[in-house]
Amino acid sequence: MVDVNSFVQWLGATPVATWLNQSTWIWPFCETLHFIGLTLVLGITGFFDLRLMGFFRRVSVAAARDLMPLALAGFAINLLTGLVFLTALPAQYAHNRVWWFKVGFLMLAGLNALLYETTLSAKVLALEPHADTPRSVKLIGLVSLASWLAVLYCGRMLPFLGDAY
Amino acid sequence: MTDILASIEGSALAVWTRESPSIWGYPTILTLHTFGLAFVVGANAVVNFALLGFAPRIPIPTLRQLFPIMWWAFALNFVTGVLLFMSDATTKAGQWVFYVKLALIAVALFVARSESKALRRQGDAVVNVPANLRTLALVSLVVWTGAIVAGRLLAYL
Repeated sequence: MVDVNSFVQWLGATPVATWLNQSTWIWPFCETLHFIGLTLVLGITGFFDLRLMGFFRRVSVAAARDLMPLALAGFAINLLTGLVFLTALPAQYAHNRVWWFKVGFLMLAGLNALLYETTLSAKVLALEPHADTPRSVKLIGLVSLASWLAVLYCGRMLPFLGDAY
Repeated sequence: MTDILASIEGSALAVWTRESPSIWGYPTILTLHTFGLAFVVGANAVVNFALLGFAPRIPIPTLRQLFPIMWWAFALNFVTGVLLFMSDATTKAGQWVFYVKLALIAVALFVARSESKALRRQGDAVVNVPANLRTLALVSLVVWTGAIVAGRLLAYL
């Protein structure tokens, strides 16, 4: 078991952390990228989730899925910039309950997507283009949409709900 | 002008937005503004990347269905944006980047309206995306990205 406190102390004392904290513009730059990334993740994933839930039926699930690389690009941007924030101010996040909730919802979204891709995706892609989706797939879409909205909520409310800002 | 801004900032609504210790005050208004941003720019990204050919299997006429999401989310951001401005009117009105943000949003709305009209005119028979619609799609993505950058800079400049 990794001790969170010693990890936070170690990370905060690394040269990278010092360098990030000394720069005036890295933080705003990464924060802006984080906002651009979130619009891609929420927008593209949200559209796909809504299709899985049975909305936008004139778009086939396969067609909606074609946009997913953009959501992955947005996620990559946000993972990288998120790691910059964590490295610069580890205590602010690791000692904040709401940040752990955010990580939890991220993992839920990830596991849900993994479950879908490994068990249901092939069956859904084989459906008729305009077909409704089975209830299990609707549930996957709902869980995904709800977890991403929760990730956004926890992230934005971090300074207000948390206990270490 | 300074008087008007000061009285806006001193109004009961602005004071509540800025100073209420309630989680339903400033934190929730700001968070709603972020949700609205995700829906406006997110739905916009779906429309414009589809128009640019990133998902050729999406039937172009169905993109019209995404515009209502954008308009409702924009309405949310207009209301929350006005509240956020009121709570800090004298500062925000003195920041040049605030006017850049407003101008970019005005252009973005005009582009979205043009796209919506063009899509409606084409009806359900669109197969290829006309060049002017592709140009609008590119402009839209660039302008919304600029609006996000300007919005973020408001907190730093």
